[in-house]
Formats: sequence, C-alpha cells, structure tokens
Amino acid sequence: MKHNKPLFFGTLIIAVLGVIALSAPLISPYDPTAINQANLLMPPSGRHLLGTDGLGRDILSRMIYGARISLSIGIIAVGIAILVGVFFGSIAGFYGGIADSIIMRFVDIMFCFPAFFLILTVVAILEPSIYNIMAIIGLTSWMGTARLIRAEILSLKEREFIQAEVALGVSHARIIIRHLIPNAIGPVLVSGILGIAGAILLESGLSFLGLGVQPPTPSWGNILIEAKSTLGVAWWITLFPGLAILVTVLGFNLIGEGLKKKIGR
Amino acid sequence: MKTKLLEVKDLKVVFHLDGRVIPAVNGVNLDIAADEILVLAGESGSGKTVSALAITRLLPANAKIISGQAMFLGQDLLKSDAEALRAIRGKEIAYMFQEPTAYLNPVYTVGEQISEAIMLHQSKAGKEARHAVLELLELVRIKEPQRVIDDYPHQLSGGMNQRIFIAMALACKPKLLISDEPTTSLDVTIEAQILDLLVDLKENLGFSLLFITHNLSIARRIADRVLVMYRGRIVEEAGREAIFNSPRHSHTKELIAAYHKIGRIGDGSIFQSKIVLEK
Repeated sequence: MKHNKPLFFGTLIIAVLGVIALSAPLISPYDPTAINQANLLMPPSGRHLLGTDGLGRDILSRMIYGARISLSIGIIAVGIAILVGVFFGSIAGFYGGIADSIIMRFVDIMFCFPAFFLILTVVAILEPSIYNIMAIIGLTSWMGTARLIRAEILSLKEREFIQAEVALGVSHARIIIRHLIPNAIGPVLVSGILGIAGAILLESGLSFLGLGVQPPTPSWGNILIEAKSTLGVAWWITLFPGLAILVTVLGFNLIGEGLKKKIGR
Repeated sequence: MKTKLLEVKDLKVVFHLDGRVIPAVNGVNLDIAADEILVLAGESGSGKTVSALAITRLLPANAKIISGQAMFLGQDLLKSDAEALRAIRGKEIAYMFQEPTAYLNPVYTVGEQISEAIMLHQSKAGKEARHAVLELLELVRIKEPQRVIDDYPHQLSGGMNQRIFIAMALACKPKLLISDEPTTSLDVTIEAQILDLLVDLKENLGFSLLFITHNLSIARRIADRVLVMYRGRIVEEAGREAIFNSPRHSHTKELIAAYHKIGRIGDGSIFQSKIVLEK
C-alpha cells in the first residue's frame, strides 16, 4: 500500500535499474566493448536500439553495463562513507570532551575542501580505477553522516534505557554498537540514499573528465566523453546517458523524499 | 546474627548546579543483611534515589560523592574502578527503575533484551538463551510467554514491562536488587501484584531487596526493616511493626498521617480513617 507516491515511484525506478544492472550479461544484446568498424555512429535502429558510438560499439549494451558500474560505485562509496562517518560520529557523540573536539575540528577541516577538486587532485596523482574512485568518493563524503550520528547520539545518550544498560553492566562498545547506533541510524539511511545519487553524479563527472572509469569499461560518464565532439551528428550518444543519469538521480531522490515523509521529519 | 551484604557509612553526595553546591545526601548510614527486605522511605527530594545511585555509581556527571564508604562483598563500591563496577553491575547488584517502558530499548524485542542480560552474565547463547528467557518470563508470571517474548516494549503495558525488567534484573541471579519506586507509575491493582511477585521471588531465589518508595503503606506490606529519610538524612530506623505502631520522628509521623488522610492500602481501596492493620 504505497500511498507514499515518492517512495513508490522512486523504489520502482531504482528496482528496475537494479534488475538491469544485475542481469547485464543476460539482457545485453552485444558485447559492450565489441568494436565494429562497419557500424560507426549509426542512429537508433532495429539492430541497435540506442545506436552505436564512434567505434561501432552498441550504446544500449554500454548503457546496461554502465548501469552496473555506476550503481556499484555509488553504493560502495556511500557504504564507505557511512562506515567512516558512523565511526567518528559515534565516538565524538558518546565520549564528548577532547575526542569530540578533535573529531569535529577534523570534520570542519574536511568540509573546507571543495570535494570535487580534492577528488580530482587525488585521482590525478593515483591512477584512476574503479576501486580508487569508490574509496575516494567515500572518504570525502562521510562528514555529514558523522555530524548526524553525533547529534543523534548526544540526545540518545541521556535516554533512560541507556542508563539501564549501564546499570546492567554493558560495556561502552556494546552500548554504542548495539543500542545507540540502531536507534540513531534512521536519518543516516535517508542521507545515505541521497548520497548514492550524489556519488553517481560525482562518478559521472569524473569519468566525463577522463579521471574516472577508463574506457573500454563503459560508464555513463565516459560515454559522454565522445558526446562532446559528436553532438551535432550523433544526438543519441548525448541523450541516452544523460537521460539515464537524470532518471537514476531522480529515483534516489524520490526514495529519499518518500523515506523522509515516512519517518516524519 | 545475619551477615551484612551491604554496609554504607557516612555517605555524602552533593550536586554542582550553576556554580552552586547543593547537598543531597548528608551522612547516610545504612546496611542490608543477606535475605532482607529494606524499605527506604521518604518524600520526593529526601535523597533516597540519590543514595541508591551513589552506591551503584550511576550518578549523573554533575553529582559528586564527597565522602563515605559502601562495602559490598569486601569491596568499597565508592572507590571501585570501572572494570570492577562492570563486573558487579547486573551480576551482583541489579537496579530497577521507575518507568519501565522508558528504560527498555525501543528497537529490540523484550526477548532480545532479556537475552542480552543472560548472554552477558551467563554463557548461554541461541536456543539455550531463548529457553532461559521463556523460563524467566514464566517466573515473573507473564501469561503467554511465547507471544510476549517477541513483542516490543511499546506493545506491552507498564505492568508487563516492569515484569520484563524484573526478569532482566534477575537473569543474572544478583545478590541485591535495588528497586527505585518500581510501582509508582503503575495502577494500584498491578502494584499489588508486582509487590507480591517481588516478595515471592525474594523468598524463592534468595536475594536482598532495597526498595525505595514514598509510599509508607508499601513498607507496611513488604518490609523487614524501614529507614525513613528526610532532607538527606536518615531520621528513623525500625522494624516494620515498630514504625507504624510507635513512630518517633515527626517526619515519620507526617508520612504516616499523609496515608491516614487518603488511607491507601495495597489493594487499592480508599478509606477516610486510620490505617487498617494487616495480618
């Protein structure tokens, strides 16, 4: 019963996307890296539903595999961000005092860096690879989560059931992990969903600049590299990846909205 | 001569509030023997809860224990470090609070929470632990333990949650159970059931009970000895009958008189006359 329209449509979109990504080898009509000199820059047709690119590769197949790549980068990057953010945020919130001050100043410092340029710099120094991208995006976007968790824990810490746990002889680590974090994690999950959309955008941007996923591995961002120079003659190379990114980010944002409605914040 | 389980001498606690130092407990001496029910009675603000929190070192950060000694099993609790305290909490001394629902974690079922107490202090896990939880639920006289074990605290009534709490507290077979006004937020018929339950459990499992309350008629019903606190001090100490038949301190007399007026008795009936002698 989804009278929560944003949640319903968002979940629908992302579910479809997920299925596509998971079943890529099964549904992809061609090998996404198969070069075919005879079919360069063909518009959408019966044989190539979304056309071909400058090397004759089928765009639809590249888009399907690109979904896989973009989605997994987004999810893992956010996973890293949540792990790091929850770690620092819960220590800061629970122990307070010096630990809190040091961690929060560190968060402030991290916020001062324009994330995109920080990522650009790091990627330019290290070689761009999928794993580096995941790690880098994750390690530069954990700060919001840290602040959220810290705020939740600061207030939860005073709740009576925590006092009861202390009276029971439960260790600090257990209190934090088993009792505080599950109660505090709500806003973090919402922010995490929205974060996946952000991570996908970030990855697309990096790939477009040539610093993300490297060809021949397809990513919606790196399909767009070619789009720049062929915009006049091959509109399909620009339209479809752009549309895909749009719809995906929309889907995640709808889920985020729907979740916010659901938990009433 | 019964052995003393807990011996508190000259306990003094102050609060630091807005730069002022406010005394809460001014030199309290109390002791509990093994297998004894001691009721600590007094009006709100008399320092009874603060004394109990001080003994178990559960005071908030702005409270300071400035003197005193609390000997328990050969250790001075007021000087014990965090490790020693953790070993004692739950296992030797269990603490029950006033409003049970607030003191239970809302995101876990009551079965999971009792399990945690069991796994923490006995080394049982999985099916064994669940079995132990069901036994405990029966012990605290919960009907339909199979259903209740998977319920969340907000799905259960205050009385049920207090029984859950008793189950958690007794999971570790402590030597001392401190109950801080456990029935104040419950209605009177449930209160009577919980009091009977506590007394029966104490008889069967053999622990000592430190019961904190502002309601002297509860003392009448369950106490072996009664300590009356007023403004941070113990003003009277006597056995159950003596407190009611021959109270000496004026404050004790006030407390008794307050219950004369309203005439509350454990079974909930309200009279406008003297307290009816029980048994």
